[in-house]
Order: sequence, then C-alpha cells, then structure tokens
Amino acid sequence: MKYLNKPILEINKLLKEKVIKPLDLVEEAFANIEKNKALNAYITLNKEEAIKTAKELENKEVDNILFGLPIAIKDNIITKDLRTTCASHMLENFLPIYDATVVKKIKAKNMIIIGKTNMDEFAMGSSSRTSYFGAPKNPWNTNKISGGSSGGSAVTVAARDVFLALGSDTGGSIRQPASYCGIVGMKPTYGRVSRYGLVAFASSFDQIGPLTKNVYENALLLNAIVGKDDNDLTSADKESEDFTRLIGKDIKGMKFALPNYFMSDIVSQEIKEKIISVSKILEKLGAKVDYVDVKYLENAVTLYQIIAMGEASSNLARYDGIRFGYSLPNPTSIDNLYYETRKTGFGKEVKRRIMVGSYLLSGENAKIYYNKALSIRDDMQKEFTNLFQKYDLVIGPTTTTTAYDLTDPMDDPLKSFLDDVLVIPVNMAGLPGMNVPIGFSKDNMPIGMHIIGNKFEEAKMYQLASCIEKELNLALTPGGEINE
Amino acid sequence: MEDKLTKEEVLHVAQLARINIDEDELETYQIELKKLLNEVEKISAVKGYDDEKLIASWDRKTELREDIAGEMLDPKEVINNAPRHSGNYIEVPVVIGDES
Repeated sequence: MKYLNKPILEINKLLKEKVIKPLDLVEEAFANIEKNKALNAYITLNKEEAIKTAKELENKEVDNILFGLPIAIKDNIITKDLRTTCASHMLENFLPIYDATVVKKIKAKNMIIIGKTNMDEFAMGSSSRTSYFGAPKNPWNTNKISGGSSGGSAVTVAARDVFLALGSDTGGSIRQPASYCGIVGMKPTYGRVSRYGLVAFASSFDQIGPLTKNVYENALLLNAIVGKDDNDLTSADKESEDFTRLIGKDIKGMKFALPNYFMSDIVSQEIKEKIISVSKILEKLGAKVDYVDVKYLENAVTLYQIIAMGEASSNLARYDGIRFGYSLPNPTSIDNLYYETRKTGFGKEVKRRIMVGSYLLSGENAKIYYNKALSIRDDMQKEFTNLFQKYDLVIGPTTTTTAYDLTDPMDDPLKSFLDDVLVIPVNMAGLPGMNVPIGFSKDNMPIGMHIIGNKFEEAKMYQLASCIEKELNLALTPGGEINE
Repeated sequence: MEDKLTKEEVLHVAQLARINIDEDELETYQIELKKLLNEVEKISAVKGYDDEKLIASWDRKTELREDIAGEMLDPKEVINNAPRHSGNYIEVPVVIGDES
C-alpha cells in the first residue's frame, strides 16, 4: 500500500504539488479492493466512471482538502445512474434517476465515488448478514462479522481500500460496525445531514454520517456533508461550522457522565475494563468522570422496536411492484402483484419487521404502542437534556461484545436489536454519537468507546475523541502490528 | 402451551403487510413474530412518564420553503423506472374488476 494508509493532509499536499494524481489513488483503491475481494465489502463498483472522473480532475485545481479522494457510499444512498440495491432483491436492478443531496455534496468537493457498499437488507440488521449479496467479512478476522448495517463501509475503510465512506445510522448502524472494525464512525445530530436520497427505513431516526480511519478525517468529511436542504424538511438550519476546530484542545476541566447501565452485566468484562482504563486516563488529563443513573435506557430497545418497525412498515409500503424495483412477472390481479412481489422481493428479516410494524400501527394498536413509545421517547430526550446541563459529554462502550462469528445462529429475531442496546438510545433522543477505537480484546478484535454529545455539539465530541486517539496511539491497520 | 401466534394471527399480520406466506413458513413466523411481540409488549410495564402531553414535541420551528418551482425530475425518467409502462402511463393490473 503506497498512499491509502497515509493521512489525508499528506495526500492533499502531494496532490497540490502534482507529485501524485487522483488516478494514482483510484488505481490503488481498485487494486486493494481486488486483493480484498473476499471481504465482500462492495455490491457495485463504479470503476469506469471513477477512472474517468480521476482523469478529468487532472486539469482542475486542487481547491479543497477532500479533492480527488476515493470514497465509498453505502448502498442505501442513491446515486444517479449507479445501481443502488439496499442489499435487497427488491432493488437488485434499480438505477436511480437523481443523486442524494450528500452525493451532490461529495461530487461538488470532487471526491471520487469508488462503489456502493454492502449492508444489511434495507439497513435492517446488526451484522450485515441479511444482505441479499452475502455478508461482508471483518478485516481483523474474516471469520467474524463486520457489524451492521453499514458493514461494507466499515470494512472497506478498515481495510484501507478508501480514505472515506458514508454510512447511515437508524439504531447504531454506523457506530456499531465502526467499533467492530476498529475505525471512527459518527452519527451526527438528527437533522444535521439531509436525508434526501437516503432510502427511508425509520424516518424519525435515519441519519447519514462519515466512517474514517481517524478522528480528524471524520470531522473533515462531516464538514462537507452537513447543511439545510429544502428537500428534507427535517434538516436543520444551522450555520456551517468547522468540526475540526476543537481537535487537539485540552480536555482539562471537562465533565463526562458514564451511565451505570452502560457498565452493567450486559457488557463483557473485557470491554468494561477497557472503558475504566480510558476513564482513568481522562481523569489524569484533568477531566472528571461521574457514574450516573439515566432513566429509560433499559427501555430503549423496546421503544426503538415499536417506532422503527412501525415507520419501516409504512416506508416500505412503496415497494409494490408498480413504481420501481422488482415486480412479479405476469401478475393475475393487483393483489397478486402486491403480495407476490413483496414475498419474493424482501428477505426474511425485512418481512418480519414489516409484518410486526403493520400490526403495531393497525387500528387501536397505534395508540397502545406507537403513540406511547413516542411519548416515552420524548421523556427520554428530556432526561438527556437535563444530563447535558451538568456534563459536557456522555461516554460508555459502543458494543456489549466484540465482533462475533459469521456462523453464529441467525434464528433469534431479537438478536439484531440487542446487539445495538448501547447505541439505540442516541437515535431515540436525536443526539449525535460516535465510536472511537480504544484497544483490542484478547483475541485481537477491536473495542470501541461510544461518545454521546448534546444536540449539535459534534465538535466537542471530536475534541474528546482526538484526545483519546492521541493518548492511546493504537496501530489500527488490520494485519499491522498492535501497538499497545 | 407453546409461546407462539396462531396460524390465523400470522396470516392476519401478513395480510396487513401485503405479503404472501407459504404454508411451510407459517410455523417459523408463528414463533418469531411472537418473540418480537413479547418484546414490544414490555412497553406496558414502563411507568413514570407523562401520559397527558403531546406525543412528540419538536424543538425547531416548522419551516416551509418559498413556493417557487425548483429543479424537477423528468417525468419520462420516472415513468421509465416503472417495471411496466406505456407512453406516459404506468401499467397496473385491473384494480376495479368484476368480483363475480
């Protein structure tokens, strides 16, 4: 590997001085992806177009830090004329006719889209094993899951195929695979990034965010994708800001809350010990870490299930065999078309969630379940608001275990929700959350810390994350030496 | 008694979701859907929240954009994306048929 493991700042300098060309980076990216083919990180490669774009960029001025950099896009973010499948048979041959807002922003910065990454079908899952195209594999140990649903994006960044990737996070789908793969992943505040062109799963949770090999580069990519969008009513009208501005700043005097629930028996001993040792480092640097009780955390998975499955059943009603995507050949009636298209087009996990969601929203059930869940969610948000009056950030582990075996059973419908028990509360409260690697388990699988911020305080999260990154100075390239 | 939905209950939720289920899949769904519903049922035990308020507060003002025509999708491209189409129309099987 010549370039793709280097810091973006260094690459930018080389591009500016014309020592290298964007094509060099693109060629190395595709060579790596070919070498790492067994990781199954991609559903569709954009090779021809990427090479063409790289050549066109040779005549352009290197006008920004992300210029000419290869980037991978999760396959539920639509890309004009580039197949977008959501890892589903339903959209196996779907060619979008417009670009998602984030894709427009990526192109405006002259980043180069390398391909569309593997994921759980319609982002429903926590191991990327529900993909119609087979599961991606963890670069740290190819017998292990990548995590999910943004598994392919996490894998390809961890394997150093690309500098940057976009994922989406509805209930932990950026942070959890980032933790399993030993990279940095940020789910921004709900509304920070436009959802226009992100295939809808649970609209009140869905958020796009960056996955990168380090903290600084994560902040750079977030800089490029945020902003108000008239095509997304829930996008927030915020002044643009530089998310790197607090990186490297002292954390002395800062106060962090560590919820007791995040350190309870649901978390493996090994991971808890890592969190405790990092807390001690933070205290040594002059910060304060308090154990706190936070109400409703233990209810978050139930609330999430109700709201996410309900919203999914409504959002996925559009796959009817009429508008776009898979359609039953030679239907005998309109009902035959609906029922058989959805039976064949969707995988098992998706069907389960749509069925339960439809039930939860039907008749009186909407009041008993959905409305009640929304009401408790509102209280949970207030609980966090109060917490952030006393504390700068909340910390804890990102996952309860490290990545488990690809062959572990998939027949428990609750498993994929429980894998995300520590990350789901963040989506419930609309807060920003991120993963930063803090070390390795005995069997050499990455462990991550979860940092939760108050709404629109991503810059402060990057400040803490960069401090941890600097203190630990881990060697995070799979196959490389472990520097602990 | 086994903890599972009845066949009729599974067929009911499948009908709500407009998804056909094969006879040999029924048993699995009876068990799996029940597991999910048991989990969801835990919400009834959650206490201490304020039941009287609005179900979802919104901390931002409702924003409407100016009513100015912007960039639009080309209707031809939209129609072409439909699996069955003819001219400017999307084709569907007969919706109102004779039920006899």
